[in-house]
Amino acid sequence: MTELIHEADLDHAHPEHEGTGVEDRKLGMWLFLSSEFLFFGALISNYLLYSQRPGFPQPYPAEIYDIPFTSVSSFVLLMSSLTMVLAHNAQTREDANGARTWLFATAALGSVFLAGQVFEFTEFIVEFDMKLSTNPAASAFYLLTGFHGTHVAIGVIMLLSLWGISRRRGGLSDRHGLNLELVGLYWHFVDIIWIVIFTVVYLLSEPPL
Amino acid sequence: MSSSEHIHHPSPAQYWKIAVVLAVLTAVEVAIYYIHRDFDLGNFNTVLLIGLAALKFVIVIGWYMHLRFENRMLSRFFTAGFILACALYTIILTALGAIALTR
Repeated sequence: MTELIHEADLDHAHPEHEGTGVEDRKLGMWLFLSSEFLFFGALISNYLLYSQRPGFPQPYPAEIYDIPFTSVSSFVLLMSSLTMVLAHNAQTREDANGARTWLFATAALGSVFLAGQVFEFTEFIVEFDMKLSTNPAASAFYLLTGFHGTHVAIGVIMLLSLWGISRRRGGLSDRHGLNLELVGLYWHFVDIIWIVIFTVVYLLSEPPL
Repeated sequence: MSSSEHIHHPSPAQYWKIAVVLAVLTAVEVAIYYIHRDFDLGNFNTVLLIGLAALKFVIVIGWYMHLRFENRMLSRFFTAGFILACALYTIILTALGAIALTR
């Protein structure tokens, strides 16, 4: 009996930390995202250090960027943030169908972004012969955008997992609702990192003179 | 119910409006990139593009991540991480840039 009551308590527990008033997992996610600034900061700094260092074989990334194509990719990722926040909004309004639809739309837009990145990398390697080891700028570019792409891929997997859970009978419970919020935070973070990468790496970067 | 659900978040219509603003800002960024290529805006180009990116950054964090509606402690933690990263890498880049200049 005691165990039953204990389980029921757990089901309806508000896992908020008494001192902070914030759910522990949510606090953990914000701290994780905060630490990710250091991770991506290192990779962006690495690119900035090497993007204009002369004396290495060409091409440099800034010579071959396809800005119209990357602009469309950026737009797609930006719009995936909209679909993500709409999924969260639908979940808080207990609109299970809406949450499921917007979750799938977010995963689909994330996949389109990833497909664009694969296309871009393939074009750079096959058409322009800019490989990982061609020059330090190319290495830094692939490292930075590749790690960002990996984050997007992990996000897509988490979104599809949530979408799969939402299709089961009972859909997303309260506990899964928090999961959706946490995946949403992660997804928006990946988006804001791309906002920085798009501006600093693509729009502001110039090849060495 | 999570703690964030007690807070008034924007409506779906407001989220769409925010998306339009973000799309327009991205279009302006790309337009500035092409204007700079043809008319050389100098350092003004960097200021404009960084400013627009910062605006998009703040909008996504504030409205889509709901940070402006959340517990202040979360804002402090997140902002601290961001400021720490900016300060650290600004120092590193400045130092390494200075070394490269003296060689």
